[in-house]
Amino acid sequence: MAENIIELKNVMLTLPSQAGPVNILRGIDLAVGRGRTAGLVGPSGSGKSTLLMVLAGLERPSAGTVNVAGEDLTQLNEDGLAKFRRAHVGIVFQSFHLIPTMTALENVAIPLEFAGRADAFDRAEEELKLVGLGHRLTHYPGQLSGGEQQRVALARAVVGDPEILLADEPTGNLDQTTGGDIIELMFDLHTRKNATLLLITHDVTLAERCEQVVHLRDGLIERIDSGQAAQALAKVSI
Amino acid sequence: MSEASFSLAFRLARRELRGGLAGFRIFIACLALGVAAIAGVGSVSSALTRGLSERGQDILGGDLDVRLLQREARPAEYAAFGRDKNEISRTIEMRAMARTDATQSLVELKSVDKAYPLYGAMKLAPDMTMNEALAAKDGVYGAIAEPSLVARLGLKIGDTFKVGSEVFQLRAEIVQEPDRIGDGFALGPRVMINDVSLAATQLLLPGSLASFHYRIKRPENLREAAAIKSYTESLQKEFPDAGWRIQDRSDSAPGLRRFVERVALFLSFVGLTALVVGGVGVANAVKSYLDGKRDVIAIFKSLGAPGALIFRVYLVQVMALAIVGIVLGLAIGAAVPFLLETFAGHLIPVPAALGLYWGPLVLAGAYGVLAALAFAIWPLGRARDVPPTALFRDTIAPTRSYPRAIYIAATVLSLAVLGLLAIFTAERPIFALWFVAGAGLVFLILRVAASLIMDGAKRIKMRSASMRLALANLYRPGAATPAVMLSLGLGLTLLTTVSLIDGNLRAEISKDLLGRAPSFFFVDIQPDQMDRFEAQVRAAPDVTKFERVPMLRGRIVALNGVPADQIKPAANAAWSLQGDRGITYAHAMPDSAKLVQGAWWPDDYKGEELVSFDEELAKGLGLKLGDTITVNVLGRDITAKIANTRVIDWQSMGINFIMIFSPGVLEGAPHSALATVTMEARGEANLERGLAAAFPNVTSVRVKLALEQISLVLSQFSLAVRSTGSVTLLSGVLVLAGAMAAGFRARLRDSVVLKVLGATRLTILGIYVREYLVLGLATALIAAAAGSVASYAVVVTMMQMQWHFLPVTLLSTVVLATLATIVMGLAGTYGALSAPAARRLRGG
Repeated sequence: MAENIIELKNVMLTLPSQAGPVNILRGIDLAVGRGRTAGLVGPSGSGKSTLLMVLAGLERPSAGTVNVAGEDLTQLNEDGLAKFRRAHVGIVFQSFHLIPTMTALENVAIPLEFAGRADAFDRAEEELKLVGLGHRLTHYPGQLSGGEQQRVALARAVVGDPEILLADEPTGNLDQTTGGDIIELMFDLHTRKNATLLLITHDVTLAERCEQVVHLRDGLIERIDSGQAAQALAKVSI
Repeated sequence: MSEASFSLAFRLARRELRGGLAGFRIFIACLALGVAAIAGVGSVSSALTRGLSERGQDILGGDLDVRLLQREARPAEYAAFGRDKNEISRTIEMRAMARTDATQSLVELKSVDKAYPLYGAMKLAPDMTMNEALAAKDGVYGAIAEPSLVARLGLKIGDTFKVGSEVFQLRAEIVQEPDRIGDGFALGPRVMINDVSLAATQLLLPGSLASFHYRIKRPENLREAAAIKSYTESLQKEFPDAGWRIQDRSDSAPGLRRFVERVALFLSFVGLTALVVGGVGVANAVKSYLDGKRDVIAIFKSLGAPGALIFRVYLVQVMALAIVGIVLGLAIGAAVPFLLETFAGHLIPVPAALGLYWGPLVLAGAYGVLAALAFAIWPLGRARDVPPTALFRDTIAPTRSYPRAIYIAATVLSLAVLGLLAIFTAERPIFALWFVAGAGLVFLILRVAASLIMDGAKRIKMRSASMRLALANLYRPGAATPAVMLSLGLGLTLLTTVSLIDGNLRAEISKDLLGRAPSFFFVDIQPDQMDRFEAQVRAAPDVTKFERVPMLRGRIVALNGVPADQIKPAANAAWSLQGDRGITYAHAMPDSAKLVQGAWWPDDYKGEELVSFDEELAKGLGLKLGDTITVNVLGRDITAKIANTRVIDWQSMGINFIMIFSPGVLEGAPHSALATVTMEARGEANLERGLAAAFPNVTSVRVKLALEQISLVLSQFSLAVRSTGSVTLLSGVLVLAGAMAAGFRARLRDSVVLKVLGATRLTILGIYVREYLVLGLATALIAAAAGSVASYAVVVTMMQMQWHFLPVTLLSTVVLATLATIVMGLAGTYGALSAPAARRLRGG
């Protein structure tokens, strides 16, 4: 059995608001093995995106422990968390979040530049070629289609060879065909890079392609199912 | 920290700036305006002081000017002037009356010899040589005069007029007199005659208030500053009791130079205020820009950028744009002397040496950089704390209002350095300290007031929906209230202060001084004329008061035996040691004298020389009863012991002397009398004409005309201050425009929602008018109050005058400022009214 790269114990998150404190996560326990895939599903407001933020070190939990890639995220300061993300995590957003004033190549190179890598642009070019955008290196996000922008975002997420790939509704802003292509590409990258993939989606069918399907409701894990991938893997084992 | 290195910050900043300068136009304009004002004032001031220095020989009329009061140089002294093969030119200057049968005028009379001018050239219209202009022709001496006298006496070339007892023919008008500005403030137009004809006027009598100037032109090999200095020292050493004043070409017009420097100092502070006002615009623009960059900052953070790198990326961008604004401002500032010379050169009596002056430009640039840092670090510091979660959802928790302590400290440090730079580069640091402290206090008051208004607007419950919405606009997130109050408030406070000081000075001149001052001063009344003169005055109708005292001129040369040039007096007493002063003597204590210390000498006192001294000057010079003052009168040093001190009411404009000596030595010296006449205005012209005819050597100074002359100078100064001050207001307008632009999207959204709910454009307009009315009125009232306090402090403590409450000035400031806020506010938001609701609702 693979070691756990993600271990969450009794994670809670309460945020203040003008209407009073809002309990977003109410005691999450979760473990994901290295190199595995997990799908997070649940209705709006169930805490999916917040859980992803906690895993990425973008949000600090109010209570509980968050151990990711061997790091206790609750013990790291702001800059420590930034370094952690740079070293271990790649994130793909629903809205792509590319920087409009930078070319595709520059967008992909940024994480490596942050890490002080001299080969940032060479690596970024390789990664863009890998996602099929070798001919769009000097294009700005505004000159790319939605699918192309998400490919750039994917390339940016994996360019640093992260151990964990987090994706928050990566096809939410794309049409079905383009979305399908992106999902294929993402699973392909997961396999090639042997990265742990955590995928947030409303699409249960898509989630079931993962080995674990985590169902969230009202800030709590309702249940964890085995996805088709896990079942297929089990059949092969039998 | 290699990853947060500036090279990476520069790279990322460069990419970010590809997005263009939108939103930074106001930022650049604010900095450019403030820097241009400071650089412009500094460049003009440098051009003028350099001009004075470069043309020192022309202005002084020689390499050196030795001035003697009421006496000619003695043969030994004259021989010393001619040493080293020096060339010498003697001029004699005095005030006198020029008159025709119909009218008369006070003139600044100057007699010149054949060597005049040693440097520079006279320009006359019609063109002729000085000898042609001044020599006798057909038994009549020639004279030349400034055009204002020609107009005042109704003369034309060839006409005759009298000066003293002699008739002169006007041969030409003076177009240019090279050493004119070195003579300082003039009460009348210039008339020049030759030295032979001066004797014929019979004006040069014992005790006449004439100054004798010996201009010395050194041989070319002896004109170096060191050679001139050593020659000056040798003259002083050889004739220690001469009582002369020697000036050299390095500081040919010290009074004028000081005036230029002080005006420049004041105007540079006005420019600094404009920069600080613009700083509010800088802060707003940076905040607005960074608000638009929240997503990018969050992306950077989610990709692993540390906070310090975020700060640096945007600091680099802001400072790059700041440099654009600063360079633009410096270019404008550097061009100001050239523009001024081209378009308003005729208004400036001082020669400007046009050129690039790096000193003031570097200083203005430093001010610009510090202002940009001081106002940008705060919002930049807040930006580093933008949570990366901003990408996923609108933050439930409000973003922290204050940046981390290090950024607060950096902001405070930048402001402190800005203030210290202003203080330590100022010619008068104490004045600068007051200015900086005052501006800082007003800034703080306005910021607190803005918070109070926002808080008050939140608490006030209004029944009227329009008023409720108007008040809500004052405290909504991102409301323009603090920006408008700070920027317009500071500019308005400055202008109110200047207007009130100006108004108070004018009130002092027009009401107080004219009400209390005598109608005439008469000088140079000879001893044998005194009784006849008094009789003629008293016989005239409408005369209500006549006063007469003996008068001499003298210069303080030592205090308690210490030479005057080695004494460091208090700032308010320095003037007493800088030139010659009128002195008198008296047996009995004058009626108006108010003794503070000591006692007056007996009427029949005969003993060692005593002096009654001004109480305030005694304090400023560190003198007490029993101390000695040495005054050089007619080339002789007279030492007297201070017997008492008096309070002098200078605003009485009567006969005031800082020194009144006991009878004795001065009584025997050749001297004339000074008289004042107070009378009804209707008889003034007749009395003056009659006295001018009977006593041609006596000079009359009409106080009203002299005050008008002062008022004119004041108006020009006031115009310069207001022009520079308007830069501050313009800066405030820019900030207001920036604040309106930043809030435009929110107003557009509100406007659309209100229209959906049935509001007409007029209703929405009414809401905006109410909002700007409250904002403008509050700002104007605070500015009026702060301006009143500041002007009170200046008028009462610095100028030592009575402060007048000027309701019309204040009211006009309040009304105009409120109207301006409404108009500018509406101009900035009018577009929101006309936005089609349907298109906006569809997201178009």
